[in-house]
Amino acid sequence: MLLEIKNLTIEFHDHDRPERVVEDVSFSLDKGEILGIVGESGSGKSMTALAVAGLLPRKKMEKSGEILFEEKNLLTLPRHDLRGLQGDEISVIFQEPMTALNPTMKIGKQVEEALLLHRHMTDEERKAKVMEWLEKVELDDSERVYEAYPHELSGGMRQRVMIAAAMVSDPQILIADEPTTALDVTVQSQIIKLLLKINKDSGVSILFISHDLSLIKQITHNVIVMQKGRIVEQGDTDEIFLHPKEEYTKKLISSIPSVDLRK
Amino acid sequence: MLLTLFGVSFLVFAAFEIIPGDPAISKLGTDATPEMIAALREQMGLNRPFIVRYFDWLGDCIRGDFGRSYSYNRTVISMIGDKLPITVTMTIISMLLVIAVSIPVALLLAKYMGSTIDRAGYISNQILMAVPSFFLGILITYIFGLTLRFFTPGGYISYRQNFAGFIGYLLAPSVAIAIPKCAMSVKLLRSAILEEWNKDYVRTAYSRGNSTMQVMYRHVLKNALIPLITFWGMAVADMIAGSIVVEQVFNIPGLGRILLTSISNRDYPVVEAIILLIAVVVIVMNLIVDILYRCIDPRISK
Repeated sequence: MLLEIKNLTIEFHDHDRPERVVEDVSFSLDKGEILGIVGESGSGKSMTALAVAGLLPRKKMEKSGEILFEEKNLLTLPRHDLRGLQGDEISVIFQEPMTALNPTMKIGKQVEEALLLHRHMTDEERKAKVMEWLEKVELDDSERVYEAYPHELSGGMRQRVMIAAAMVSDPQILIADEPTTALDVTVQSQIIKLLLKINKDSGVSILFISHDLSLIKQITHNVIVMQKGRIVEQGDTDEIFLHPKEEYTKKLISSIPSVDLRK
Repeated sequence: MLLTLFGVSFLVFAAFEIIPGDPAISKLGTDATPEMIAALREQMGLNRPFIVRYFDWLGDCIRGDFGRSYSYNRTVISMIGDKLPITVTMTIISMLLVIAVSIPVALLLAKYMGSTIDRAGYISNQILMAVPSFFLGILITYIFGLTLRFFTPGGYISYRQNFAGFIGYLLAPSVAIAIPKCAMSVKLLRSAILEEWNKDYVRTAYSRGNSTMQVMYRHVLKNALIPLITFWGMAVADMIAGSIVVEQVFNIPGLGRILLTSISNRDYPVVEAIILLIAVVVIVMNLIVDILYRCIDPRISK
């Protein structure tokens, strides 16, 4: 078991009354596994993902439970040690490739940053590694992309750059928070295929957050269904899609538009 | 750009045509007889029509000849050339101070946003922004010059005599000029940083294991400086014009000094040349700002 989350509860203290956004969530992620978290907006799926990535603000927020990675609890780990894992063992790709990249920094510099922070490498070694990943994410003309700025690339290309930047340090866990939501459908399926290929080739575990059940069905081995901060149902993806136990899961599955509806 | 210069030159020339005062009278004094004045006006070419004189003057300016001073027996070029290094040095020192101080202070205030440091910074900023440079100059002279004796008030040293001493003396007036601009820069930069701070790429930077300071310096600062460039460009032009008053306070024989004496003497060629010079500085600064924009912000197409 690579990552284990035990009784994770997250409360916001931003308003007068504390607001519980994640409640008593427990699950685990194995090596090489693709685990989906599915739910509507406000279900707490993104909060859970951000907690694992160590990206939740420290103030105005109370977290309890445990997020165990390599016998360390990420929730109580000192900041400095947490930073040592971020971008090295745990990487993230976000929903909006348009804004998730720094507009005034060249692509090459952004992709190499995790290496700069976590590895002792010469400039040549680093560049070689970056070029290797730009090619692995199937960006044509990688030399040009290396020197380009984000605004010179399309949305799909930017998301490929994000994936390259996340994978360049060979992390053990890749958190993908709605990585295709902002992209159009053809690009979306290319990115999904790419993520599957990377999972197969490098053995990275993927925590795949989405509101899109058909995507979850395509890509994940196991799935967690969340509603209002709680886990409704979890298990093998095929099993859950064939035999959902809970009402909410059934409702979600029946809401997937399919060819059958038209018959 | 040339059109702007043309417009400015016309306005300046026309302004001195309209405002009362006659260079011939101020040269001869009030005792002069009408005949003497008429003769001098004839000699100075003042009785030709306005438009003729304007194009005459403009043509000379384009050829690099700004004429001779009415009151001193020197060419305008040599008068300005003497004083320009003083004002320019002061502006450069002020600008370096503004940049060197405002960036770290703004980063600090942004980092401790909402804390006591931030609030104290906000209040002192508001005060410093509102205090005019000449008053700061008087304060600095009083505190550092007269009380602490860090420098001798009024003891200006020419750059021809002792360059280090010259820079040392200019330091105090430069600080006086820099402080309000610096306060303004801190305010602008702090809010630019906080605005950038909410952008998605900051979270991406954190996700790669950057510390807060690394996110600031490596990612946020460059983006936050983009709106500041315009302000700094304007500030340079403003400092040159604003140095006129501060030069009086610190008894520095710079551009401001000759501008003031020339205006009261109706020494038009000198005044016109200085105002044209300030216009050129403003235009050149705009050009530099545009070039810097292109360097720092890749989204502006080349």
